[in-house]
Amino acid sequence: MGEERLVDTFVELADTLIDDFDVIDFLHLLVDRCVELLDVDAAGLLLANQHGQLQVIATSNEQVRLLELFQLQNDEGPCLDAFAIGTGVSHADLTTAAARWPRFAGAATDAGFAAVDALPMRLRSEVIGALNLFRTSPGVLDDTALRTAQALVAVATIGLLQERSIRNQEILTEQLQTALNSRVVIEQAKGLVAERLGVDMQGAFAALRGYARGYNLKLSDVARAVIAGRTGTHDLLATPSRPVSQGDSAANA
Amino acid sequence: MASSDYGASRLTQVRVWVTEWAASLELPVSVWLLCETAVFRLGVSGVAVTMDNAAGWPETRHSTDVLSARLVELQVTVGEGPCADACQAGGPVLVADLDSPAIQRRWPLFAPLAVEAGARALFALPLCVGTIRFGILALHHIEPRQLEPATLADSLAFAALALRLLLDEQAGLPTTDGGLPLHNPQVHQATGMISAQLNVGMEDAFARLRARAFTDQRPLADLAVDVVARRLRFDPTGETT
Repeated sequence: MGEERLVDTFVELADTLIDDFDVIDFLHLLVDRCVELLDVDAAGLLLANQHGQLQVIATSNEQVRLLELFQLQNDEGPCLDAFAIGTGVSHADLTTAAARWPRFAGAATDAGFAAVDALPMRLRSEVIGALNLFRTSPGVLDDTALRTAQALVAVATIGLLQERSIRNQEILTEQLQTALNSRVVIEQAKGLVAERLGVDMQGAFAALRGYARGYNLKLSDVARAVIAGRTGTHDLLATPSRPVSQGDSAANA
Repeated sequence: MASSDYGASRLTQVRVWVTEWAASLELPVSVWLLCETAVFRLGVSGVAVTMDNAAGWPETRHSTDVLSARLVELQVTVGEGPCADACQAGGPVLVADLDSPAIQRRWPLFAPLAVEAGARALFALPLCVGTIRFGILALHHIEPRQLEPATLADSLAFAALALRLLLDEQAGLPTTDGGLPLHNPQVHQATGMISAQLNVGMEDAFARLRARAFTDQRPLADLAVDVVARRLRFDPTGETT
């Protein structure tokens, strides 16, 4: 993996933490960079609500999302294990995982995945969620990739916990509930866009996100704007050819 | 692994509390009864449910006491406060002490007036499903209070139940004990698609989806899968494929 790209990633994550912090955008950034930097094929991130129930917040593609949900519903899988025990969980060849996770293993291989790693998002004794990394070929994550993943997860964990002390459940609740509702807004917008543009959910998500990135906007804000009719669905396809920087979008506003 | 059942179990418990209270008064379950139950079970000074009126301003739909309603009015009058912030963010705003310097800086108009009126803690829980917004479940307390984890969990459960009662009312469906799969992304995707198919807002789209599930006696999640897979369309002229 490119060292420069790794440095860029940490700078990007740090910038997101310092400036206008948006949980959804931050976590999407994280899962995308994981896929890019760690030579994995998909990533999904789950956060726990204060009941200890894991909720999907960001995935690198729609397929993975379904898988994470599957995990939750059936109460099994590497992410759940990593969250519960607080240490990393791996399986290098999912065709041999049926005894460990009967339903998850089958669903994962059906989806084309051959190997999985799950890292808990942990700060001292508190586990707040987990990151799931999937690969389409069997094998283990090499040492450098694993350590990089751990560092990215640590940055993300610290970022999420930054606003408050771990004892203060209230800020966690505010943050998580807001992120979950933003997720629903995004799903509603995906449906709307999918119908109007005649594309699937993946394509709808790409249109929303492409527009958000192109104009340096929050994904959930774009979703709201499309639902409210302030941004036209077909406008989503007309993004600038290069991303607009913060300064540009302020000038255009 | 107790955890994954905990949230659902709190919602079930809250439903039981409200149903029992209603039964003891020989009244149907209602949002007002939910507020009364919440005061007792959460040990807070008062509870209100606000809903946006036609002009887009929050109005008190139910309140358990004068101060609850007053706090809503104050926020509308000065145009700021935890309820407005919660509504905009789509997530809770939990204020343990309205008299703290940070909070007074955050809402310089509202916070001092609220303290003067007798409130010290305020917890604004939005009642919304994405862009489908009803209003706020607002809990206040006359002393500073940081909600204990169990109380916070139950507060969210009361909000979740209030949301379901309001959704049932909007869909014209009887309130059932059945779960509403609001964690399921395909339900929301289907809502979005129906919104475009019928050219209606998300509220109406969701109500139509629910009504169809009820009529067909099918689980909502299954119907949503069909909509997303484009096996089922909603047609403005009448009924569907």
